[in-house]
Amino acid sequence: MAIKKRGTGLTAVADAWQLADIDVSASFPIRPYTAIMAELAKRIANGTMKCEMVHGEGEHAQFSIAHGASMAGARATTGSSGVGVTYAFETYSPIAGGRCPIQAIVGDRTLDPPGDFGSEHTDCLTLRDNGWIYGWAQDAQESLDNSLMYFRIGEDPEVMLPQIVAMDGYFVTHIAQDYEMPAQEQVDKYLPKFNPQFRLDTKNPVIMGPQIEPEMGPPLEWDRHVVMTKVKEKIVQATEEFAQVFGRTYAPFVEEYMTDDADMVFVLQGAHAVTCRSAIKYLREAGYKVGMCRIRWFRPFPDDALQEILTKFKVAGVIDTGTSYGAPCAGGVLSTEVKAAMSEILNKPIIQSFTSGLGGETITHDEFFAMAEMMQETLKAGKLIQSGTWVNFNDYHEGASQINAAKNEAAPSK
Amino acid sequence: MAVAELIKSIAQTTDLVETYVPGHRTCAGCGPALAYRLVAKAAGKNTIFIGPTGCMYVANTSYACGPWAVPWTHAQITNGGAVASGIAEAYRMMIKKGKVEDDYPNIIVMAGDGGCSDIGLQAMSAMFYRGHKVLCVMYDNESYANTGIQVSPSTPYGATTMFTPAGPEIPEAKKHHLKDPMAIFCSGGHPYIKYAATASIGYPIDLMNKVRKGLAQDGPAFIHLQCTCPKGWSFPSDQTIEIAKLAVETGMWNLYEVVDGDWANKIFNVVPKKLKPVDEYLQTQKRFCHLQPEHVAEIQNFVNNRAKALGMEVPLPPAK
Repeated sequence: MAIKKRGTGLTAVADAWQLADIDVSASFPIRPYTAIMAELAKRIANGTMKCEMVHGEGEHAQFSIAHGASMAGARATTGSSGVGVTYAFETYSPIAGGRCPIQAIVGDRTLDPPGDFGSEHTDCLTLRDNGWIYGWAQDAQESLDNSLMYFRIGEDPEVMLPQIVAMDGYFVTHIAQDYEMPAQEQVDKYLPKFNPQFRLDTKNPVIMGPQIEPEMGPPLEWDRHVVMTKVKEKIVQATEEFAQVFGRTYAPFVEEYMTDDADMVFVLQGAHAVTCRSAIKYLREAGYKVGMCRIRWFRPFPDDALQEILTKFKVAGVIDTGTSYGAPCAGGVLSTEVKAAMSEILNKPIIQSFTSGLGGETITHDEFFAMAEMMQETLKAGKLIQSGTWVNFNDYHEGASQINAAKNEAAPSK
Repeated sequence: MAVAELIKSIAQTTDLVETYVPGHRTCAGCGPALAYRLVAKAAGKNTIFIGPTGCMYVANTSYACGPWAVPWTHAQITNGGAVASGIAEAYRMMIKKGKVEDDYPNIIVMAGDGGCSDIGLQAMSAMFYRGHKVLCVMYDNESYANTGIQVSPSTPYGATTMFTPAGPEIPEAKKHHLKDPMAIFCSGGHPYIKYAATASIGYPIDLMNKVRKGLAQDGPAFIHLQCTCPKGWSFPSDQTIEIAKLAVETGMWNLYEVVDGDWANKIFNVVPKKLKPVDEYLQTQKRFCHLQPEHVAEIQNFVNNRAKALGMEVPLPPAK
């Protein structure tokens, strides 16, 4: 029977991993993701879970251990945060290219410098070209649900790709929330046992990861490209069946909030959606026709869904909770991707980028109000006033000058 | 712990199944290829190989195929120890849970000197520390050979490589003496290693029995295997075995075992009546042809000191 629990995004994913009967998990401490490994360790010690926890000597080893375990045929998991994610960088492409569907959790953390524990999406966004499938959860329940859906999609014999259950550090990893842990029978019904066609099996010897000649690589890369298209179909299917088995319904790609009559929308992913919704209620009372589009998958990027949805609006403000210094249009990674996805679409909205929530700071109601104000000005002008705006640094709404001045004063290179 | 079934003679090896089979493009007289063949033959069919990047990856697996009749997987040059750890624990847990009906396989990492004691050192040390049941064979041809012979920590003092040419400013070529992985891994710092040995392709029966002893352990085991390399060391390809033997006869390589973790009481497997001067060995390879008498003396001194430090009782040539 499903049980009501109170816990964090990390304990929720630990529940998912317990229900998925993972065999091997590789740990190394870094905040904030670490708490999931502490939780697993407890469950293994008290006999709730039958899983080998291997203490990697770093993140590079963690992902390598999970890779080896997956090649042997085990369901394997790992995870990290911030510079831990980037320390393992060499391993991501071999794992995806080897079609080993391990699951990693990333609790976002700002990359150094400075040594900041707060959430920024940059750590996980740096992995975007490595062939993993991933997206952001907004709360504990969605973290758990994503974990189960990701296993199901990633281990599908027609997919076989590693997955990252991404979530904002602290907002999702550490704030206790109510959620429901599904029943074992539900999970067994939804998630088949991991049964790879090829594994390191002495009765059926195979060679994995041999060298190839230059002309033999592109067909394999083409296959990895094509499978990402197939993943989109699988996402739709897995999300629908999830609702049938567990009774929780998600938009497969993009959640819309108060968009029916909206002419402006915030576009974002992850935990800030929670604050965004409540800010929108106030903004609606003040007469702003504003809504929200929350992106649930980052790879594969849901361009079809976005193209269909965003054409309904006049202005889209994409919120980048991370950095990509020198990126096109002075934005971050998410806004660049949204703009690219919309580039050939007729009647597209004016798309502007807001960089906000850096360093793990909450995006406050006031900041959402300021962004709405700036989108309103864009709407009135009928064109971009400023392509990329760092909220509280170079705002252009009325009353912004004082805030900007204070923040600029604090910047060392003024 | 299982008892290793030991091989007594070459004649006995003809009945063993070859699982490192023809179909690779290693150099003529390749020492590491012979090493692979002997290790595979000693281990048998219930074996999984992990091959971190090295010459035995590049030369064996071209054109998306490989010369193994047992499962083999590539690992990055950095992470052979970690990938092997994952495979080992996956098998242990899947067998425990009844998810597979397999017998626990022999898991062997065949790492080169770089993949084991340089860029791969961290992962290998952690694998030994955690006590996974894996045999690590460091096939040591004393350079990064897959990239065209560049210096590694195993390259002896005085050898030329692409990164250590001899010239008027640096007449000795390589300036540093080598790093000793046996001392690093097996002198007590990794207590789960109960069996460790050095080996040489010049002594095949000795090598195969060391592989079997390593695989019979309940935990990790380590074999440091010298593999002569005609291309990297510049000698004719028909002298692979002679030079391997000459290394032992001159003390440039020592054959010993550390049993039950007892580093203080090593067992020396081959002790010459007296060590030949190192110059005899150096003369056989063009990588040493630039050496001056003072450099040869430096090497002799190093070899003599190493024999003494290891506790090998053998008459030593004079070091000038």
